[in-house]
Amino acid sequence: MGHSGFNPKARWDRHIPLENDSYDPQNLNQRIEVLAWFKNAKIYPRMFSWKNKIYKIKKVTYNWQERQGQETISCFSVTTGIDLYQISFNNTSLSWQIDKIIE
Amino acid sequence: MILHIDMDAFFASIEQAVNPRLKGKPLIVGSRENKLHTVVCAASYEAKTLGISSGMPTKEAFQLCPNLEFVPAQQAKYIWTSEQIFGMLKAYSFRLNYASIDEFQLDIIDDPNPGMLAKNIQQRIHSEFNITASIGIAKNCILSKLGSKLNKPNGITIITEANLKSILAKTPVEELCGVGQKSGAELHGLGIKTCLDLYQKNARFLEQNLGKWGLNLYLSLHSSERFDGLEEEQKPKSIGHSYTLTRASETPGFIQAWIRLLSEMVASRLRQQNLVANTVHLWLNGPQIGNFGAQKTYSQATDDGYEICHRCLRIMARTGPKTPKIRALGVTCGNLSFSQNLPLFREQKRREELLKTVDKLNNRYGDGCIYPAIINLAKKE
Repeated sequence: MGHSGFNPKARWDRHIPLENDSYDPQNLNQRIEVLAWFKNAKIYPRMFSWKNKIYKIKKVTYNWQERQGQETISCFSVTTGIDLYQISFNNTSLSWQIDKIIE
Repeated sequence: MILHIDMDAFFASIEQAVNPRLKGKPLIVGSRENKLHTVVCAASYEAKTLGISSGMPTKEAFQLCPNLEFVPAQQAKYIWTSEQIFGMLKAYSFRLNYASIDEFQLDIIDDPNPGMLAKNIQQRIHSEFNITASIGIAKNCILSKLGSKLNKPNGITIITEANLKSILAKTPVEELCGVGQKSGAELHGLGIKTCLDLYQKNARFLEQNLGKWGLNLYLSLHSSERFDGLEEEQKPKSIGHSYTLTRASETPGFIQAWIRLLSEMVASRLRQQNLVANTVHLWLNGPQIGNFGAQKTYSQATDDGYEICHRCLRIMARTGPKTPKIRALGVTCGNLSFSQNLPLFREQKRREELLKTVDKLNNRYGDGCIYPAIINLAKKE
């Protein structure tokens, strides 16, 4: 079936430079180890280790994908029951990182 | 019949799904990280009941509700969700229109049970994304869009021939898509207060009093054609970008850097779609100049950010003050056509090679990985 109209890939924020280049504690961007299931082309993170501590994931509250050039990043907001984290998986380098602690 | 899906407080609902702590709380999504120097991109229903609306400065929103929750916008999240919903709707095998990031239209022809179909779509969206949508069903796009607004959130409104007049009689004319404050006042002046008043006026009356817009309004309201003559793979009428600065500035280098950045963004989208533009429009907003907008059409079409920027600077020279204070600015290219011209001269060929290489790098490593050095000035003020 045909479709037309709005093009969501035309993003307005892509080129806008950051106002502040300084370190932001809300943007951790640190490598982590993750135990995850890969099933039916979907990723289900179950636990991760960060700074020598294991965090069991109780629930993935949301997941989405971002594109950075040819790389696809799968992002997950996950809760341990106490805190909420954003972690991401780079589908090209096959590496995981913790992006931030969500307040 | 057109089925119009309008996501409820889309960005705010996604943020509430990401962070369950925010559910049921007044929440605003700001376009920038700095919560006091930005505008409201989206407000949750809890915030809307407090009088907070999109486009409002966040400072004002915090004055209305000091305990307001704030999340900076993360475009990628919203775009991905929108694309997923669009993908899900494709499975319904109806003609589909991507109206905007949070609006979709299906041409459901003469589906025997549109109410059931709408309910099914709502349930699927909720189960997959934990967010809600409101749906309007009517004989044309404008009425179905109106229907989707009447019963928010998570509502379904079916406008049939039987209930059309009673629904329109209860709806103020300002609710109609395309009728703003100014045009609403104009309609009031003609004694048109509700959508029914407008619906019952004939085409000649509307054309005589409101011109082409009035006639178009009549045709949109009374049509029952499919997707209002929408064409497949249509090319856009214009491509533009605008930006509101954190504070008004009169530094020429800073303003020029922003015009160049917006021009590069527009040019990159033109090249992605193999388009060139003959017309460049510059919009500026500032305390001395108010809203300034001017455009110029050139015989030579372009898709080069450098050229677009210089055309804008020539337009800007017409604003009056030499260095006006600027708070917001926008660059739009119109009069678009598909690129067909081959470069003749060596310098033109070199320029085209350069643009191709820049596009290649940005596609490989992500947009904005390489950009003209002047854009660095946009970071400093």
